[in-house]
Amino acid sequence: MSLEEHLDDSELPERLREKVRATAEERSLSDEEAVEVADAVYERYEQTRIDPLEPVGTVSAQSIGEPGTQMTMNTFHYAGVAEIDVTQGLPRLIELVDARKEPDTPMMTVYLEDEYAGDRDKAREVVWELEATDVLSIGDLSIDVADMQVAVDLDEEALEERQLSREEVAESIEEELDVSVDEESMSFGPDSPSYRELLQLVEELREVVFKGIDGVERVVIRKEEVEDGDEEYVLYTEGSKFKKALKVEGVDSTRTKTNNLHEMQKALGIEAARNTVVEEIVSTLGEQGLEVDIRHVMLVADAMTTTGDLQSIGRHGISGSKGSVLSRAAFEVTVNHLLDAAVHGEDDDLNGVTENVIVGQPIKIGTGDVELKVGRPGGD
Amino acid sequence: MTQEINYTRYERARIVGARALQISRGAPPLIDVDTIDPVDVASEELDRGVLPITVRRGPS
Repeated sequence: MSLEEHLDDSELPERLREKVRATAEERSLSDEEAVEVADAVYERYEQTRIDPLEPVGTVSAQSIGEPGTQMTMNTFHYAGVAEIDVTQGLPRLIELVDARKEPDTPMMTVYLEDEYAGDRDKAREVVWELEATDVLSIGDLSIDVADMQVAVDLDEEALEERQLSREEVAESIEEELDVSVDEESMSFGPDSPSYRELLQLVEELREVVFKGIDGVERVVIRKEEVEDGDEEYVLYTEGSKFKKALKVEGVDSTRTKTNNLHEMQKALGIEAARNTVVEEIVSTLGEQGLEVDIRHVMLVADAMTTTGDLQSIGRHGISGSKGSVLSRAAFEVTVNHLLDAAVHGEDDDLNGVTENVIVGQPIKIGTGDVELKVGRPGGD
Repeated sequence: MTQEINYTRYERARIVGARALQISRGAPPLIDVDTIDPVDVASEELDRGVLPITVRRGPS
C-alpha cells in the first residue's frame, strides 16, 4: 500500500499528514517504512487527544491559573523592544481576559510593504504619516499679550523632515481654530481682544494635529530580522488607531497588528480578534518565562469569541450571561441573582455542572455522564 | 466474543465501579481469582471480556 492510500484511510489531521509526507520525502522512505511512520504518528496523535467527557475547561483554568500565581504583580516595561512602555505581566493578562475596551498601553506593530521595509528613509516617511505632529514638534509658541497675538516660530528643518509646508500649517490652524492666520509671521489672534480667548486659542492650538494620526503619540523604527536572514524595518507605535493606520501608504495591512482587541475585531473581524487574544496571552505568559500549552489559551479565546462578539470572562461577560440561575448565583452577587430570578419566574434546566453540584446530582462530566447497559461490548 | 471497544478512562472506571459494587455485596465472580478486592476482581473481569456490562454511547 502506498503512503497516500494509507493516509487516506487514516484519521490523521491534514497538518500531520503534511508532516508525514515531508518526512517520507526528505528521508526517501520506502512505502512500507512510510506507512510504519504514519502508524507511529497516528498512535502518538491518539495519545495526545482528549478523552470524551474530560473537563477541559477546568483543566485549562488550572493550567493558566497556576502559572499565573507565579507572575509578578508589578507592571514591567519593555526594555529591549523599542523603548516603548507596554503593560506586561499580571495587569496585562487581566486586561486581556476582561476584554477591556482600551488597553492601558495601546500599541501597534506596523510592518511595511516591500519597497518601504528595506529603506530607512522610506520607512521614515511612513513614520511621519503615522505619528501625530503637534505644534511643539514643528516650532515654538510665543504669546504677545500686548497685541493679542499668538505666533508660531516654525522650525524649517522639522517642517522639511515631515514634508509639511508653511501653507499647510497655516491652513490647518485656520481650519481647526477658525481664525485667519498671517502666513508671513505665522501669527493670529482672537477676533475681539480678550485675554481669555487668547489663552483658549493657545490651548486649542496645542491639540491640533498637523500630520499623522491623532492618537498615535510616538513611533519607533526598529530593524528586525526576518526568517531568511534578511532585515526589515518595523515600526512600533505608542497609541493605537488601527483602522487608520492600515490605510496609510506603505503599511503592510496583512501583517500589521495592534494589541487592542476591539480595534482588531472592528477592522479584521472576530477571528482576528481570537488570534490576537491567543497571541497576546501566550506572549504575556512567555515574557514571564511561563509556558502554557496553546490549547488551553485557545479554549479561553474561543469562549471569549464564540458569540461573534468579544466577551469578557467574569461577571460582565461569560459568567454573567450563563443560562442557569443557580450557576450565576454561585459565581457572584448571589442574592441579587436569586432575587431577580424569583421576580421573573425563571426556570433552571439543570444542564450545567454547577447547578447539579448545588442540587446534589451527578454532574455530566467524567464518570458522571457514562451510561451503563447490559450486554457485550460492541453487541446490542 | 464481539468486537472490542476502547473504553475511555471514565467509562472504564464507571463499569469497574458498578461491577465491584455487585461483587462486594456478594455477587459471585465470573472468573477464578486469588484476590479478594472487589475492584481488582471487577477490573480483571473487564479485561478478560467476560463482563456483560457495556456503555451506551452517543446522545441518549
